[in-house]
Amino acid sequence: MTQEVTVNIDGAFIRAPKGSTVLDAALGAGICIPHLCRVPYLEDIGACRLCIVEHIENGRSKITTSCTLLVQEGMRILSNTDRIRKLRRNIAELLVTEAPNSRAIQDIALRCGVVETRYPFRNSDCVLCGRCVRACTGHFGEKAIGFVGRGKDRRVESPFNLYSELCNECGRCIDLCPMTIVPCDGNMKPGEGRLCGNCESKMLTEEAAQGYCIGCYMGDGFQCERSITNTL
Amino acid sequence: MPSPTITTLLEGHRSQPHQLIEALQDVQKHYGYISEDSMRSISDELGVSLMEVYSVASFYKAFSLQPRGKNIIAVCTGTACHVRGAKMVLNQAISQIGAEPGEISKDGLFTIEHVNCLGACALGPVVTENESVHHHMDPGKLRKLIKSLKKGDKEGASHV
Ligand code: SF4
Ligand code: FES
Ligand code: FES
Repeated sequence: MTQEVTVNIDGAFIRAPKGSTVLDAALGAGICIPHLCRVPYLEDIGACRLCIVEHIENGRSKITTSCTLLVQEGMRILSNTDRIRKLRRNIAELLVTEAPNSRAIQDIALRCGVVETRYPFRNSDCVLCGRCVRACTGHFGEKAIGFVGRGKDRRVESPFNLYSELCNECGRCIDLCPMTIVPCDGNMKPGEGRLCGNCESKMLTEEAAQGYCIGCYMGDGFQCERSITNTL
Repeated sequence: MPSPTITTLLEGHRSQPHQLIEALQDVQKHYGYISEDSMRSISDELGVSLMEVYSVASFYKAFSLQPRGKNIIAVCTGTACHVRGAKMVLNQAISQIGAEPGEISKDGLFTIEHVNCLGACALGPVVTENESVHHHMDPGKLRKLIKSLKKGDKEGASHV
């Protein structure tokens, strides 16, 4: 029998199995916490930082990623405060600046309230979310791709950048990569730091939505866990 | 083909994945750099996936994946050294040796590196040559140092 604990997320008391993450619990209860690098059934590494929440402990609030925070009895979590929204907007802004050519990233940026970016677009083709790296099983668990280098030189590569004999050609890495989702060609022109925002994503930026999942189509864009479970 | 020495080098680490860094350090110390072949041998001997060996080896600055010269000249380009003219020292080193940082010079004698702070800011610009530290460097002093190293005259070098 699985043990359950009760956590308080944004004022709602949610029962969740012990050992699950706060993000799981919130998504299960219909509270939408934006997330990108998380893939259900893979280990979480907290790479994208989008899923940050405030964890209130002894009257002090601590900001941490909800995908790596395990539920505990009596925990208090706030996922949609001004502070969080501001931080999340900055994170999403940096993400979309780095890689604006993906519908997934564009949608996340809009969802987090980014309309304009303050930085020039970089047009890179990887956001280092690590989805592919974690999904790769390779031969008997010997991964064919992984992170190489560090800091601004960090990238995803196979050993020595050669075609790896460990690759099974399963294609899972490509399926999960947010960068494979064709960008919206709205009013966003190359080199112009403005997102068009005319898609369905718009409704979620409205204050009335309050961060609760309303089953948007955007989920398809970045393989939101809810949309995955809905289509399974 | 792994040379017999690498097998002996990895002797103490065999089948101990947690000793990956130690094994890499040993190889680095012995060969001056970590080659693709050594990484493959480490992966086989320690039972760590090749990807992981490569990730770790490429992560740390202490590991070099390319052959390095006999003498390693590290120019500090940290803030304190920078404002005191580390850039000039670095450019001098590059033109003297004829190789960009991280590369090996044609004669195989030198590799230049730039590091971010050696923790001796008051003595800047600081340059380390192999194990010894040189303070208050300027392009002229560096030229002398490189010259004396080329001659293999270690005694003279340590007083520059
Ligand atoms: S290649 Fe794609 S899935 Fe892999 S880390 Fe980069 S953005 Fe993420
Ligand atoms: S989903 Fe939690 S950090 Fe990316
Ligand atoms: S900046 Fe050069 S030693 Fe600190």
